[in-house]
Amino acid sequence: MRQVQSENDVSASDDQADVERVLAGDTSAFEGIVRRWQGPLINLAYRFCRDRGRAEEMAQEAFLRAYRGLGQWRKDAVFSTWLFALATNLYRSELRRIPAYMATVSLDDIAEPADARASDGGLEEQDRDSAVRRAVWALPAKYREALILFYFHDMDVSTAARSLGLPEGTVKARLFRGREILRGKLAQRQAVPRLKEA
Amino acid sequence: MRRLSEHEEGEIDGILSREDEILPSSGFAVSVMDAVRREAAILPPIAFPWRRALPGMIVGGFVLLLVLVRGIVALPQLIRASAGADLRMALPSVSLPIFQGNLAYAAIWTVLALLIALAAVKLSMRLGSGSV
Repeated sequence: MRQVQSENDVSASDDQADVERVLAGDTSAFEGIVRRWQGPLINLAYRFCRDRGRAEEMAQEAFLRAYRGLGQWRKDAVFSTWLFALATNLYRSELRRIPAYMATVSLDDIAEPADARASDGGLEEQDRDSAVRRAVWALPAKYREALILFYFHDMDVSTAARSLGLPEGTVKARLFRGREILRGKLAQRQAVPRLKEA
Repeated sequence: MRRLSEHEEGEIDGILSREDEILPSSGFAVSVMDAVRREAAILPPIAFPWRRALPGMIVGGFVLLLVLVRGIVALPQLIRASAGADLRMALPSVSLPIFQGNLAYAAIWTVLALLIALAAVKLSMRLGSGSV
């Protein structure tokens, strides 16, 4: 844990140094920021759209916007927090503009198992995973986005809230409601007996 | 609707935390940097020349204020004129003093307006070309 903290500190100071160089006119310094954050930004975008190509396009646009808006980063927050908030905002508006294909799944569609044979063994687990993911995709956007950010940030509500630009209490409420809807839908499903047993 | 049990919460947490990580394609960073360099090469938009435009704007504002004050001052005269006469008969002839007068007077006003418009266009073109 201490090592992670130390890595974060190094990254934060590297980010700050690179931002200052870019603002001083050295465009090439931005590459350090891209190399450090390309993985997280693409993965976050992928969780929003489930399309690798589109995820890279959205992440590229996020980097471009970050480059344009570097001067607006107030150093009272860590650079990564600002970057994730900017990227999240962009991904949400992009997905509202052109919804991801999976987002068109209806909540009712997940009630039946996709494969009738999937009632035991590994197939059951695979099917349950798939059902949960599809159920998340079928949630209203505000609950889905809260869940995506929550799990992306290793279940850290405050970081998720900062990325979404919402108060923690609102995010907690959306997470709770989102999970309630998920449970309700998944409980109807025969292929998830373990969820019903508990 | 009942609350989620700890087991159910844990199960959903487990499934949603087990996301496959995707790796950026090999040319991603290069592609982003190309886009950033293109962006950097574009000249920044020309800022509005406030310092040069400010005197003109102040004069324009002053003239506008003057016209408004003249209009407000003339309003009671207009009301008095319309109250004294039959409204339907009086309306066509009732106008602000600024619009009263003969054809020559109207022509002077028109020429003056055209000159002001021409000066405004010339000034904005010179400001745009940066030759002021």
